[in-house]
Amino acid sequence: MDNIIETIDQVAEADPKRIAYDYLGRTNTYGDLKRRSDAWATKLVTMQLKQGQPIMVWGGQTFEMIACFLGCVKAGHAYIPIASYSNAERLVMIQEVSQASLVIAIDVLPDIALPGLQVLRPADVPDQHPAIDASQAVHGDDTFYIIFTSGTTGKPKGVMISHRNLLSFVNWEQRNFKLPAQPNFLVQAPYSFDLSVMSLYPALTSGGKLVVLPHDVTQDFKQLFATLPQLQFNVWVSTPSFAQMCFLDPTFSSKQHPELSHFLFCGEELPHSEVLALKKRFPTSHIFNTYGPTEATVAVTQVEITDDILAKYDRLPIGFAKADTQITLDETKGEAGQGELILAGPSVSKGYLNNPEKTKAAFFRSAGATDNSYRTGDAGFFAEKQLLFYSGRIDFQVKFNGYRIELEEINFYLSQNDLVRYGVVAPKYNRNHTVKQLVAEIELTKAAQDKYSEAELTKRLRASLAKQVMPYMIPQRFVYRSALPISQNGKVDIKQVIQEVNQ
Amino acid sequence: MDNQKVVLNILADLTGEDLADRMDEDIFENGLLDSMASVQMLLSLQEELGIQVPVSEFNRDEWATPNKIIAKVTSLEKE
Repeated sequence: MDNIIETIDQVAEADPKRIAYDYLGRTNTYGDLKRRSDAWATKLVTMQLKQGQPIMVWGGQTFEMIACFLGCVKAGHAYIPIASYSNAERLVMIQEVSQASLVIAIDVLPDIALPGLQVLRPADVPDQHPAIDASQAVHGDDTFYIIFTSGTTGKPKGVMISHRNLLSFVNWEQRNFKLPAQPNFLVQAPYSFDLSVMSLYPALTSGGKLVVLPHDVTQDFKQLFATLPQLQFNVWVSTPSFAQMCFLDPTFSSKQHPELSHFLFCGEELPHSEVLALKKRFPTSHIFNTYGPTEATVAVTQVEITDDILAKYDRLPIGFAKADTQITLDETKGEAGQGELILAGPSVSKGYLNNPEKTKAAFFRSAGATDNSYRTGDAGFFAEKQLLFYSGRIDFQVKFNGYRIELEEINFYLSQNDLVRYGVVAPKYNRNHTVKQLVAEIELTKAAQDKYSEAELTKRLRASLAKQVMPYMIPQRFVYRSALPISQNGKVDIKQVIQEVNQ
Repeated sequence: MDNQKVVLNILADLTGEDLADRMDEDIFENGLLDSMASVQMLLSLQEELGIQVPVSEFNRDEWATPNKIIAKVTSLEKE
């Protein structure tokens, strides 16, 4: 395959009645997808946005979302998916960074003033059958989508993924996971989280189906366990922690899901014990571990976790590099025998949108190379036959329930609060090296001491963080200390705090 | 070990706090337990006490305090 948009349209032309999308029983065909994405593209072209300007898309996981994504790229614009459970502040910050002039409101926008921003809603886009000029579509190194991750100073970073990046990823996934011919994929991750891309484009470019398990359903057990047994699909894509949650349901097994032949995990460390439990419930399924940062398009390594691997390794490998990608270790970073993972290949992003400083710090191009290299900040090492293992971070970034969090971003907002002199958020790990909880260690300002009870302080700090950071970044515990440890350079010793929390 | 001890141990492991003298505190309301942590709690209860929590009927209000959790666990054991 050499073009993602054209390949999806070809499926629609060959088999327009084929089901592409199943949202809790509401289905849409490839014909619908082509018609609706063409309608969006036509409307967007008439709006004459600045060439190459990205478009923000606010919504959940409905069919209209993906039709709109394709409409954007058909019209030559990258899309920025923003989950509609985000707070208004995030929308404002993403607009500031991206300089977008248009937001598409698939869901109702938060009730705030958005100066300089046009709003387009599905009702403004009539269903029509226009002829689309295919030459204007996103191609080559044009940006296809932009996913915003957390930044260290409160300013989110927009990772630009080009058509070429995405193509390299999708071709790899289609060839290296023993997938069925027209696979039906579970879509559980919100579209603002690039794990969703592991389902989205591999399914659509092979005439498969997307079976959606919406975010709000997964947030409520009752709904989750009423819904999950009803869904039928071949390929499970999620974080390890989400699958673990599903173990609560005794019907989550091959008996209830006979078609489920593949598990693809990404986004955080896959515990050995989880694969053992999974193999009991799904004895014949293929279970794959994968690894990759958003900056290198979802994932760049994969390995099937076989009985051999389980027997051999207590801490599971993250896999082998995809054929078009080189992974090297920068041994000046990290502990002896390991190094920082440096990725080079066609799926490595060109950098962060409108942020040359951060781009320069993380990306580089080796002399004579055609692809970018990216410094992951992850430490790892190779075992036999280039099998890669992850060993930790070299900075203060963590993965919590699959979400990537820069702890320093939370610290930044905590310390802005009038009640707080120093605030440091530390991850608490369980025995599987998984972050189980975020703990905020707080030294109060003089003025705040004795003024409020701890319960009242926690309530106030939570309420103010809720306006500034994503819900998954709010610490579960707040601990008040008379003084935090100070390092030699006069700053709070974050490493020391993290150590103390994990004692 | 009695149910109270098991429940308090599991909660202490998840929240890092000893809730023995706060048996009627709403642990969802005060943010000690979020949805992912409540999953961990149920998985641990399942593992340690061998009870099957009927998750499709899970009602957060019935599990909101240490005392309520103990009552729930005890009634599930009798089933």
